[in-house]
Amino acid sequence: MRKSHKFTCIGCPSSCEIKLFEDDGKKIEVVGGCKIGKEYAIKEFTAPERILTSTVRVENGVLPVLPVKSEKPIPKNLIRESVRALAKVKVRAPIKQGSIVYENMLNTGVNVIASRNLEARSLEQ
Amino acid sequence: MKDKELGKKVKQFLEDKKYFQINSSVNDGIVYLDGHLDNWENVVELGHKIGQLKGVEEVVNDVLSNDSVKIMTQPKIRLSKKFYDPILPKKADVVIVGGGIVGCFIARELSRYKLDTVLLEKESDVCGAATGANSAQIHTGVGESFGTLKRKLCVKSWPLFDKISEELDVPYDKTGLLIVITKDSLSKNIPGPFRHFLCKYLIPLPIWMTAKMAKDKPKIVSKGKLLKMEPNLSEKALVGVLMPNYGIIDPFRLTFSLAENAIQNGAKIFIDTEVTNIKVENKKISGVVTTRGTIDTDFIVNSAGVYADRIAEMAGTREFTIHPRKGGIVLFDKKMDKYVTHQLNEFKLPRDEYTKGGGVLKTADGNINFGPSALEVPDKEDTSTSKEDIDNILEKYAAVFSYFPKKSVITYFSGLRACTYKEDFIIKPSKNVKGLIHAAGIQSPGLTCSPTIATMILEILKKEGLPMKEKEAFNPASKRAVVFRELTLEGKKNVVAEDKLYGNVVCRCEHVTEGEIVRAIHSSVPALTVDAVKRRTRAGMGRCQSGFCGHLVAKILARELGVPMEEITKNGGDSRLFIGKTKELLAED
Amino acid sequence: MNVDTLVIGGGPAGLAAALSANKNGVKNVLLIERGPELGGILPQCIHDGFGTVIFKERLTGPEYAERYIQEITKTEINVKLETMVLEVDRNKRVIAVNPTDGLLDIQVKTLILAMGCRERTRQQILIPGDRPAGIFTAGVAQRYINIEGIMPGKKIVILGSGDVGLIMARRFSLEGAEVEGVYEIMPVPGGLTRNLVQCLQDYEIPLHLSHTIVNIKGKNRVEGVTVAKVDSNMELIQGTERFVPCDTVIVSVGLIPENELSEMVPLSLDPITGGPIVDEAMETSVAGIFAAGNVVHVHDLVDDVSTEGEIAGKAAAGYITGELEERENPIKVEAGENVRYVVPQIIRKKSFEQNVKLYFRVKEVQRNTSVKVFSDSEQIYSRKERVVRPPEMLSVSLPSSALEKTLVVKVVVEKDNEKKS
Repeated sequence: MRKSHKFTCIGCPSSCEIKLFEDDGKKIEVVGGCKIGKEYAIKEFTAPERILTSTVRVENGVLPVLPVKSEKPIPKNLIRESVRALAKVKVRAPIKQGSIVYENMLNTGVNVIASRNLEARSLEQ
Repeated sequence: MKDKELGKKVKQFLEDKKYFQINSSVNDGIVYLDGHLDNWENVVELGHKIGQLKGVEEVVNDVLSNDSVKIMTQPKIRLSKKFYDPILPKKADVVIVGGGIVGCFIARELSRYKLDTVLLEKESDVCGAATGANSAQIHTGVGESFGTLKRKLCVKSWPLFDKISEELDVPYDKTGLLIVITKDSLSKNIPGPFRHFLCKYLIPLPIWMTAKMAKDKPKIVSKGKLLKMEPNLSEKALVGVLMPNYGIIDPFRLTFSLAENAIQNGAKIFIDTEVTNIKVENKKISGVVTTRGTIDTDFIVNSAGVYADRIAEMAGTREFTIHPRKGGIVLFDKKMDKYVTHQLNEFKLPRDEYTKGGGVLKTADGNINFGPSALEVPDKEDTSTSKEDIDNILEKYAAVFSYFPKKSVITYFSGLRACTYKEDFIIKPSKNVKGLIHAAGIQSPGLTCSPTIATMILEILKKEGLPMKEKEAFNPASKRAVVFRELTLEGKKNVVAEDKLYGNVVCRCEHVTEGEIVRAIHSSVPALTVDAVKRRTRAGMGRCQSGFCGHLVAKILARELGVPMEEITKNGGDSRLFIGKTKELLAED
Repeated sequence: MNVDTLVIGGGPAGLAAALSANKNGVKNVLLIERGPELGGILPQCIHDGFGTVIFKERLTGPEYAERYIQEITKTEINVKLETMVLEVDRNKRVIAVNPTDGLLDIQVKTLILAMGCRERTRQQILIPGDRPAGIFTAGVAQRYINIEGIMPGKKIVILGSGDVGLIMARRFSLEGAEVEGVYEIMPVPGGLTRNLVQCLQDYEIPLHLSHTIVNIKGKNRVEGVTVAKVDSNMELIQGTERFVPCDTVIVSVGLIPENELSEMVPLSLDPITGGPIVDEAMETSVAGIFAAGNVVHVHDLVDDVSTEGEIAGKAAAGYITGELEERENPIKVEAGENVRYVVPQIIRKKSFEQNVKLYFRVKEVQRNTSVKVFSDSEQIYSRKERVVRPPEMLSVSLPSSALEKTLVVKVVVEKDNEKKS
């Protein structure tokens, strides 16, 4: 059955509405927007990805949580589960920016890394 | 008038005014009403009308309406036992119920005597109800009706504040009040030239007179001088009456000072302690039952604000009903401080029946505010501020200026006045229970009258048999804790050198330091919630309304009280600021 | 204490300004920050999208901050953390305080204000109702979640569809809270389309345009809000009220430059931006006092904030050496048709920079427009824009040489004439 999907392109302030038509995932036709918009719609339909940013709990740090991000985008439909996986993680300070906090998130091959340096709590704190 | 006669009079009145659904009875001069009316406004109107009948001493109004609110809240402990778990004494000479300005003043005065004085406050802090939400004015009595206790006490009270403010180290500012008579002061139905004449030449005189009778030194001010004194006034101003002895005080600082002074001199104050029952034996008080245990006592002072009638009822006597009258106040940015020098009130006839009309006021810290409004509400817990009230307040009070930047609002709040149906104070022993002394029905000018109310209560206690031997070592003076923002540069330097906690400015808008917050948390009436810290230090009262300091105050509280941040509340009970740590909700799935 | 250049604020504007002043020859640079670490608002902005212009990468807030913080450590720039500035006057005397040094009395040669901005509160927009716990501005909630590791609530209603509100809608969702909806008083959303898609659509969070909160209910903690539809005059439409049970209200209704110190000096302020009036060298109405970043006007891109900081630092260095001359009879910059404001508000006759970059925002959404700049009555610049929106700041770069004889520069956004096909 031929279905249609609407996407709002995020490439520029024009925010064009792109319509994508498909038949069981095949015979894809895109209407509206420029080249960037059409490519965006196709990607969003076939394999939408997102950068994951969240926090993980920290032991012995000057702050109780550490911001982290996925090195590359991961499939959009894995974001919620990834965040749940990260909720179980606890890292120990000191932490260096860029160090791997979670390796190969949900078999995507993408690592989740520390977004900042975080010092360990000194004895007097 | 005898009860039988009064009873007939009341029934005749009800019949004449077609109150067919209302039953009445009279006992000892008190009229008891019950039945049903359409709405709360009608209930209050009826109560007032009966209260105004000659011979009626008080009104107990049990009439219900479709929007009546029955008190359903269960008494409970509001603060965590981890940081507040006091043990009540088994006995006391006097128990004061209610920690507002009146209760705290009475406690302080009683602490002059060799007595075991206990004050109980049901909320998580003193000063949390009407005392923490009023216009902070020291009235001279000029606006009170003749023949009322309110007026009598107010005229006697206001001159006492020079000494009180000095003794207790409380900011007190005689801004003066300007009654401004304008083209809008009288009804537009009166023809222009005649209205102009009345406004300009006749109206100022009785106002001047009444002020003189209140022992003020009023001055009639011509338009030219008015506009010089207050350049932002509207051109419509015609003449003014200046009342130079009208002032403002810091009600928070006053209440805390009194409470701390009372404790310093031996009184005991317990917050988060609610009275659940009163023990009476042979028509005499024998004790109070609270959420933290029972205290045996022969004397109870009922200064319980909007719940004073409920306290009386616990003792088995119903002598009056408190109907709450809400007052909204809109507060402006400190930047507006210089916009007006005196407090202003645009004179209007006809007068509001039960309120002095509010005005353009100031706080002791320099915030201009508008209000208070006056709305009868059925719920003793309703301190919400409605859109209508905010709009009306802004419109009504800005009208005296040629222009007022309403955008400089930083906050608004409402308080509940505890009013009886005779609209006057009840400062007397209970009619039916010996040892129960009422300091009830305290509405404006309650703050101003608090010292004389306290004196009256002490006289009553003495007359009722409370032995009052003066202490030799009573210390009337209370020194304010450090207020960093008020120090000179040199003063700031010294105080930080002594204690580096004063070098950490937590509230950026009001320059409140960590040192002050820590002191407040550990003071003799401890600040155990964010709001309690706010009342004592002003942290969170600035233009960003705790946007910057909120989490810092919560952190300091958590640290000083030894609990995780998630257990810190805004004002006790369920007012938790947070629900837990992050990730906890995800673990629940 | 004497300092050549004092920077107040260690966020992106202050960091760039301090580095730039130092790079351009100022030896004695002091950077004062009231928080416990540098970065300003960036450490709590854990999402990506920062640095697309300057670094050509999509960095997270902390990553962007780290780039500058690393640079600072390589210099002799003095940094004082947990230090609050109490007073500033036009003689450039600064009083500050911290627990370790106590009271600091600093005489400075040049001052750079980089205090950023603060959030508009619920009270400032007069939302009626109770005053329970559980009402947070979006930035404060963001701080609790991303820095303190504390969850403000679990059933959320968000007022305001600007980027901060949208980002927090996603953040709350990812932390397990239920976001009931985002309510926006305007008929159009306030944030970037990217955020509408990736923060609301992705999480199936409804966006209610032309809606606002008309009452907050809650004795101790928020119990719910009443939302309602508004008309084109933003007046409530009777009968559209709906009660939404929730335990948290997030208020995201605008940012205001942090102008307390600016007003203390006092500096001349622009009533539209809320920040000090500056020229293209970021100098204010007091010679030797500069300002940069959100304290001047609220930006969309942190890259622009850093750029402004850099200009201010360079100008401060120039003030000390004398290269930055006294400003005389500056050129006035006017906001013309459909332009809400332009920064800088004045331009030096003898410009310090080769190019003058004008930043501006439009008043309303328009499609198929042209941005035009006039030097007195002569048009000196024009370009087409397919869509212009108030939440997306625009800029124009002009060579200073083109403005030598100008008295007034005017920026205008005009709808193009309809093309007849």
